[in-house]
Amino acid sequence: MAELEIRNLHVRIEEREILRGVDLTVRKGEIHALMGPNGSGKSTLANTIMGHPAYEVTDGQIIFNGEDITEAPAHERARAGLFLAFQYPVAVPGVSVANFLRMAINAKRDEPIKVKEFGKQLAHAVQLLDVDRAFTSRHLNDGFSGGEKKRAEILQMAMLAPEIAVLDETDSGLDIDALRTVAQGVVKLHAEQGVGALIITHYQRILDYITPQFVHILMDGKIVMEGGPELVDRLEREGYDPIREEVGARV
Amino acid sequence: MSDPATTTAPPPVRRKPGTARAATLYRALAGAGSTGTLEELRALALAAHDRLGLPTWRRSGFWRTTLDELDFPALRNRTYAPEATLPAVLGDGPRAGALVQRGGSVVHVELDPTLAAAGVILCSLEDAAHDHPDLFARYFMRRLTLDRDKLEAAGAALWTGGAFLYVPPGLAVEHPFQLVYEITEPGTAQYAHTLAIGDRQTDFRLHEYDLGADFDGQALHAGQFELYLEDAARCRLAHVTDWGSGEVYDVSTAVVEVTRDAYCHWLPALLGGHLIRHHDELVVAGKGGDMAFRGIFFAQEDEHLDVFAVDLHETGPSSGDVHWRGAATGASRASFEGLIQINPGSQQTHTYLQVHSMLLSAQAKLDAIPSVLVCADDVSASHGGTVGELDEALIFYMQTRGLTRPDAVRVIVEGFFEPLIVQLDDPGLEQTIRDRIRAKLDAAAADIEKYALAR
Repeated sequence: MAELEIRNLHVRIEEREILRGVDLTVRKGEIHALMGPNGSGKSTLANTIMGHPAYEVTDGQIIFNGEDITEAPAHERARAGLFLAFQYPVAVPGVSVANFLRMAINAKRDEPIKVKEFGKQLAHAVQLLDVDRAFTSRHLNDGFSGGEKKRAEILQMAMLAPEIAVLDETDSGLDIDALRTVAQGVVKLHAEQGVGALIITHYQRILDYITPQFVHILMDGKIVMEGGPELVDRLEREGYDPIREEVGARV
Repeated sequence: MSDPATTTAPPPVRRKPGTARAATLYRALAGAGSTGTLEELRALALAAHDRLGLPTWRRSGFWRTTLDELDFPALRNRTYAPEATLPAVLGDGPRAGALVQRGGSVVHVELDPTLAAAGVILCSLEDAAHDHPDLFARYFMRRLTLDRDKLEAAGAALWTGGAFLYVPPGLAVEHPFQLVYEITEPGTAQYAHTLAIGDRQTDFRLHEYDLGADFDGQALHAGQFELYLEDAARCRLAHVTDWGSGEVYDVSTAVVEVTRDAYCHWLPALLGGHLIRHHDELVVAGKGGDMAFRGIFFAQEDEHLDVFAVDLHETGPSSGDVHWRGAATGASRASFEGLIQINPGSQQTHTYLQVHSMLLSAQAKLDAIPSVLVCADDVSASHGGTVGELDEALIFYMQTRGLTRPDAVRVIVEGFFEPLIVQLDDPGLEQTIRDRIRAKLDAAAADIEKYALAR
């Protein structure tokens, strides 16, 4: 079974240490929620898992399916079965959603996907996620609303069928309808493809639609508390301050 | 020997831009043209050729295009035998007609017989001067000058072959007319001249390819292009210029005139040449005239590219939309100046000019110079320009989808040009341009990566 294991991960960016010893394991089929206040290191963890070159791993390891990928470039991680849904997806001018998806699928294959097979997969994903087919002929994220960008991320996730997906604050900037659509898309993909997910969020509201089996609280660059869905309920009732005091964290 | 007492002072010489300047300025032709019989024009041009030195184009302080390294006297206008087959670049797609000039000779002409029967003329310009004297006399050099510089004069004096296209009133032609100017050997001086006319209410496509083989040594393409669109005519015009790896100098002028209610979509794609100096001018000369002036340029290695694009409005109401995109790799230098000029009385003119460029190397240099010259008070004219570099956030985004870094760069650059390419609305031509851009990116991949890592 696919497994993403993070061991004692220390990360810095521009001489500032952000992560200070993170340990976390996500297996295929599991849904994890990683929660934490602003500045706790959530997005740093997401970017480091995917190999962003600006983040320097100073200690620890990232193991995926038994392979140490700590130094692997991002495209190799993606081809191995990791996926990152971005908090702020960038525009890809001049490249349609469909063409980009085809390129990304072909990047993981020895032989290019046949047009008919691609069309079939795209039609299925579009139906599953309740996306307008015309959406796929627009240039990726170019002029998209916030909700459309996040929907495009989930559409990519559906088409690329990763084993483990990291969703970096996918709920940020979404109105309630868009949030429901995106969250339901993740639930459907989990049910259909058995994808393992690490849902990074600042708020609990996306977790109203996706019930995580494991919840981790990140503060001050470390996971300071772990539990089940009840931890989400506690955060909703009490906020981060009592936990911060309880564990003695600064951020 | 003349008697000093009776010798009168020579009459004042009527100066045209360039004839008495060390540096030729960037300015619109703005209606300047040449009149006379072909023999008279050739004689005037030859005199100018003998009188003028090789030109230099200069902008104060930061830009200079010079032909100092061109061994002009060593170049010859070469002749070739007719050729039965068409160049591969034209593909197998349907076409209305094709004309190919290699060096100084038209080596192939073909025209759909049904179009010929409908009154379409496609032939060499030399034949048109002889066989269609009225059309030739009415349009030839109407908006082109012959003495701004030595190479322009050489072209006007010495052109051979050439292309002539006439589309008669009311005719809509589905498939493109294709023209090719080829240089296949070093030492060639090619003086190219295209004259195309879309009569009233015509609708057609015209593609001109200016192409060079890969060779060692110098060559020259001095091109002149003129297209006249009469009332309510519509044309989708494209130029594809790629001179290969030879040391080809391309100094060309192209003018398109759009009259009442006519429309032109024009896209020059300048994809390579040792030195390219183009003056491309689109003139809206009739009320209700409209145009979309698109352009692509890609400079690599040590190429020098100097484009002066003019959006000229001689009357109103009229409209225009100019949008160019370019990229530079290696140690290339590219300068794009786009001028909106709205003449007095051209009220109710609305036009916009934008140029966007992408710098892909630390040694490359890009200048984007939009400018506006407005002489009417009830118009809207605006412009914008950007010079950018590769976006690392975008590269990382694509890498997280499995694309390698070189592939991500290629997708970004291709995507940068794609909004203009798809407007060609011709899959074969679109693919030709995409393939050539991809080949240039592949050739420059190591240089692009070095630049990205250095940043």
